[in-house]
Amino acid sequence: MSTQRPSPRRYVEAAISLPRRIRDLEAAVTENRQLNRRIAELTDLVAELLVPATQRDEHRLQASLARYRAETLAP
Amino acid sequence: MPTAAVTDSHLVVPWTATGSVVVSFDDTYVWSFTAPRDARPSRRGWQVAWPDVLRSRLTGTAQVRLGLDGTTLFDAPVAFGGSHEPLTLRDRHGHPLAVDKMGHLTRVFSETGEEVRHQVVDGVGQALADLRDEGYDAHLSYGCLLGAVRDGRMIGHDSDADLAYLSAHTSPADVIRESYAMERALRRRGWRVLRMSGADLKLFHRLGDGRTVHIDVFGAFHVGDTFYQLGGRSGRLPREALTPVSQVTLEGVELPAPGRPEAVLEFLYGPGWRVPDPAFANVDPPEGLRRLSGWLHGVRTDVIGWNELYRDRRAEIPWRPSPFARWADALLGDGTPIAEIGCGTGRDCAWFVRRGRPVRAYDYAGTAIRQTRRRLVRAGAGAADVAALALNDRRSVLVAGAELARSPLPTSLYARGVVGCLDDEARDHLWLLASMSLRRGGTLLLEFAATGTDEPSDPAGLHRRTDPADMIAGIRRRGGVVDHVDVGPGLDFFDRPDPRVARIVAHWTTEET
Repeated sequence: MSTQRPSPRRYVEAAISLPRRIRDLEAAVTENRQLNRRIAELTDLVAELLVPATQRDEHRLQASLARYRAETLAP
Repeated sequence: MPTAAVTDSHLVVPWTATGSVVVSFDDTYVWSFTAPRDARPSRRGWQVAWPDVLRSRLTGTAQVRLGLDGTTLFDAPVAFGGSHEPLTLRDRHGHPLAVDKMGHLTRVFSETGEEVRHQVVDGVGQALADLRDEGYDAHLSYGCLLGAVRDGRMIGHDSDADLAYLSAHTSPADVIRESYAMERALRRRGWRVLRMSGADLKLFHRLGDGRTVHIDVFGAFHVGDTFYQLGGRSGRLPREALTPVSQVTLEGVELPAPGRPEAVLEFLYGPGWRVPDPAFANVDPPEGLRRLSGWLHGVRTDVIGWNELYRDRRAEIPWRPSPFARWADALLGDGTPIAEIGCGTGRDCAWFVRRGRPVRAYDYAGTAIRQTRRRLVRAGAGAADVAALALNDRRSVLVAGAELARSPLPTSLYARGVVGCLDDEARDHLWLLASMSLRRGGTLLLEFAATGTDEPSDPAGLHRRTDPADMIAGIRRRGGVVDHVDVGPGLDFFDRPDPRVARIVAHWTTEET
């Protein structure tokens, strides 16, 4: 591992780029936080609708879709 | 020493008035403010503008009083707008209105009769009982808790009731999933529910005087050592302060409260919580706000703006079909089913019904859904097929995609002025919806304000101009084939000329090929 200190020029360049790097990091953190909602939405949908879908019961599936819309997706 | 003054546009209070100033008209509470926070310095003292919601109603004469800690800063008749008619600030039922802590002109509890206050508390009690019965650790919170602990009464300047529940989950994804299940459970129990974010719901409780009071249900949870409560709070608060619940009395009714109400009130309002402050506004830690926003927000951005636009500017929105509707109608075969995404007032889809097409309409704004439903019925649609679709919510998109994929005939998708209202996530979901519903055939038809001009695109603040190349790339990423693109002069949302309007037609490869 090199113990050489960065040149003053490299040091200044790194310092100048810090605000942009912080903005990039904040954007990346926000994207990661948003994954929570994505996981919750998909898990909810699978938990509520996958079982009737895999049972291949058309009437139950139709009823489950209608109930999910009424109870979950109303405006 | 400078004295207080009241004009049509603003109020002035002395430099020494740094506490909560309470404004009343004819001895009725109207608004409160804190000068150092809400006012700007002027030569004569603190100058604070009337809130917009009040200023537009200020015509007539009222006895205006400005009070501060039991002293009177100003008490005199004021003829707003030069009018000597009595100034009345009342709702359509004749009840006095005031500006609440959210800046809305509404009816506050101080101007609510004893009987109605009891009806509010009955609703709160029922909501708490239902939540606890369903297994949620719910308790009174915010203003309701503050009023109960201070003097057993509702806070006078409050306009809605607040509850919270402590989640056992410590991952935001699980907190959101729990909130989805809570929403379903409350609907099954007959509550009208509006989702405000991933972990707070608004319940609507109808009162005997015709008014509807809102009961907010805020999620609260720990992540690591930090406690978060919707409404923006974050910081250190141990679970023992919240659970198991204690009991407090509100308007004579015993209700569940946090285990240590005083500790929770200090967390919510700071150490000065015992001293009434009608103009209180908390300063929440920015890092906590950023986390809550990233985890829980973003599904129904701008929905309030759209609801207000459709309700308040309805007369300005044309009712005849747009030129794009006529263009799309000529492009599609006779009788081809069509689904309009973002139906707004229903001007185009009602015309498609008259043209004999089976129509399904989607929007995320409740006002748009109701207006379109009425218009489709008038247009002769047997059953008005209008449903909610929030393009930022994958559940909503996947269910709509499944519904359209299962419709008896392939259904074309029509979206006028929609892509300019969407963020990247919602746009990708629109292409996902198209890829699900158009695999058996049908066409995607888009019209939107295109980039390449500085002309603003209306409605102000809710639309952005969009680059057609970005839309084409998004459609292709989801497997679509673009058949037609043109950009030229067209009409905006209000049918005013727009120099750059784009039209895109695309299809998806059918399942058989």
